[in-house]
Amino acid sequence: MAIFRRAAAVTALAAAGILALSACAQSSTSSEGAESTSTAVTASAPLPAPFDGDPVKVALVRQSGAGDYFEAWGAGAQAQAKFANIELQVTDARNDNAKQASDLEQAIASKPDAIIIDHGQTDTLQPLVTKAVDAGIPVIVYDLALTDSTGVITSSQSDESMASGVLDQLIDDVGDGAKVGYVSAEGFAALDRRAVVWNQYVKDHNLDVVFSTGKVSESTATDNIPLVDAALKQNPDVQAIFAPYDEITKGTVQAVIQNNLQDKVKVYGIDISNADIEVITADGSPWVATSATDPAAVGAGVVRALALSLAGQLDETDVQFPAKTITQQFLADNKATNVTELRAAEPTLKLDDVVVADWLPAVSE
Amino acid sequence: MSSPSVVSTKPSTGERAAAFVVKWGFVAVTVALILFFVITEPSFRTVDNIFGMLKFIAPTAIAGLGVMLAMTVGGIDLSVGASAGFAVSIAAWTMVIANQVGGVAVSVVLVCGLLIGALNAFLIVVARIPDLLATLTTMFVIVGLKLIIVDGKSISSQMTLSNGTTAPGKFTADFLWLDRGSVGPIPVPVIIFLVVTVLLWFLLERTRWGRALFAVGTNSEAARLSGIRVQWYRTAAYMGCGLLASVAGLLLAARIGQGDVSAGNSLLLDAVAVALVGVSVLGIGRPNAWGTALGAVLIAVMVTGFTMLGLPYYAQDFGKGIVLLVALLFSFTFSRRRTVVTAGSTTSSS
Repeated sequence: MAIFRRAAAVTALAAAGILALSACAQSSTSSEGAESTSTAVTASAPLPAPFDGDPVKVALVRQSGAGDYFEAWGAGAQAQAKFANIELQVTDARNDNAKQASDLEQAIASKPDAIIIDHGQTDTLQPLVTKAVDAGIPVIVYDLALTDSTGVITSSQSDESMASGVLDQLIDDVGDGAKVGYVSAEGFAALDRRAVVWNQYVKDHNLDVVFSTGKVSESTATDNIPLVDAALKQNPDVQAIFAPYDEITKGTVQAVIQNNLQDKVKVYGIDISNADIEVITADGSPWVATSATDPAAVGAGVVRALALSLAGQLDETDVQFPAKTITQQFLADNKATNVTELRAAEPTLKLDDVVVADWLPAVSE
Repeated sequence: MSSPSVVSTKPSTGERAAAFVVKWGFVAVTVALILFFVITEPSFRTVDNIFGMLKFIAPTAIAGLGVMLAMTVGGIDLSVGASAGFAVSIAAWTMVIANQVGGVAVSVVLVCGLLIGALNAFLIVVARIPDLLATLTTMFVIVGLKLIIVDGKSISSQMTLSNGTTAPGKFTADFLWLDRGSVGPIPVPVIIFLVVTVLLWFLLERTRWGRALFAVGTNSEAARLSGIRVQWYRTAAYMGCGLLASVAGLLLAARIGQGDVSAGNSLLLDAVAVALVGVSVLGIGRPNAWGTALGAVLIAVMVTGFTMLGLPYYAQDFGKGIVLLVALLFSFTFSRRRTVVTAGSTTSSS
């Protein structure tokens, strides 16, 4: 009995000890991991103040870091930060908006040299952004709509360039005055910005919009199939459809194929992912062009914009990351079947001429 | 063990060490972690950060106290996260769409919380469905009901309604005060957290009702035979749990500032973990308010400290898992031995 009791005591003490130690052990492994990132790109000038001394502490407050897109975005930001002697302290709310508010609040309390906010809800974060600005902390937001952006650097991928790129392609393909369809939804900042461009093209090129439909839901791709299906049954003579969000585009493509119209109707989308490339390159796919940014390059770009601003070298307060139009033909010619291969085939996706300086070249991997 | 009298009056060194670890081990780990972060992370030891951590964990702690209450009568409530999420959407609906003031929203939400608790109690006490299954069912029902009420959408001010008009109301300042306000230097959620903890501690440890709740949880048949109205106490515990879950939801709603449909999703596991940790803290071996509060504080310390060290979220989950594991070892493995020892000293006289 006594042995059992002693064993219990020892095990308990050991467990408590391991728990206490695990904190130290894990912290050292994580810093080693950061060290091992290699950089092929080199700067042609030394780092200016405040980057020439101790690491600059920057809090990166993210709504979500999960999924291919956000993982890549975070890795790009991390690589660029490492290059510029910035120590990123990353919090990931995992889509829990209350957690993101707490994260931001705690980031402000820890008085970092700057804060990056990646996505989020306007109503939730606006009061805290104001609080950070009042506390004198430089703030840059990415893809977060603010009602009051005084003293904040805003950044986003350029919806303007995304939409106009594919729409130029659409006009090239079907010409002025063509019969076109539009599948999108209202009330989403990015989609609303794309809608502005669409309306301009409709006006400038006398496009005949025979239907407008679409919605965003829990399962956007599936839910748009019946809507587009109905629209196509009514207007089988439509020549091109603009569906400016890849989930909606996928649903639209499905509906076109269902109606056996893939030879007559061309679909133009926005965004890119491995799954999207599969749909675009499938045999006889009506999806002929899409518009894309490289998430890793964009994440790095946001960090560069912040770094330039801290060094007093950023002139604008709104930074836009331009997109590249990718056609079905381009993917086929380069035999690109996933995003990695696409990146190799189209190096301008790396954004190496956007918000750069001689001491701060683009580094996203 | 030469004679039973020696065992009962003079415990061995190992035994005393085991008892000491069971009683203080968890507190020691918490203090050690806090000290570690205080020394290594300058921003950890600011007053702002301390209140920030307590504020961040307040909804989890309050929902955890609710689960703790269900555990006193020998049950569990898996619907706390869903109840809190329901509260977020209902609060938003009341203010933004029905255009009511914050006080009305708070009342509606608290009544809904009591009703959800009553539903759980009905399923468990009257319909005699096992607590795990009953509250799991309730979880699905109220998540679904919430989405039906709000058409699956997050309700925010200025949103366009299905009839094309703009929503008339917004989150009122008095409602937002629940999260953003403070009394002196202390944020409101921290005050609510403390008040709830003290009230529950008083109820459970200092009143006849508290003893009756534990009696029901330990042996409901014995409790019934000694004249306790077992079913009423079980009903009260679940309704109390529903109420606390909706209080947690109110704090979340005020923090988010809109009727986020995904709110509350992550609350359940943390709340149950906190309540389980609470059982083991201080070697009490049964659900208790201060233990649950301490468990919540430990999670807040870990999440904040690990973030400052730059650990990714999955490493934080691992840390949380280890803490829970150690807590469970304390409350089941080691304290059962202690129980065996106590029993042994009275029966091993042969």
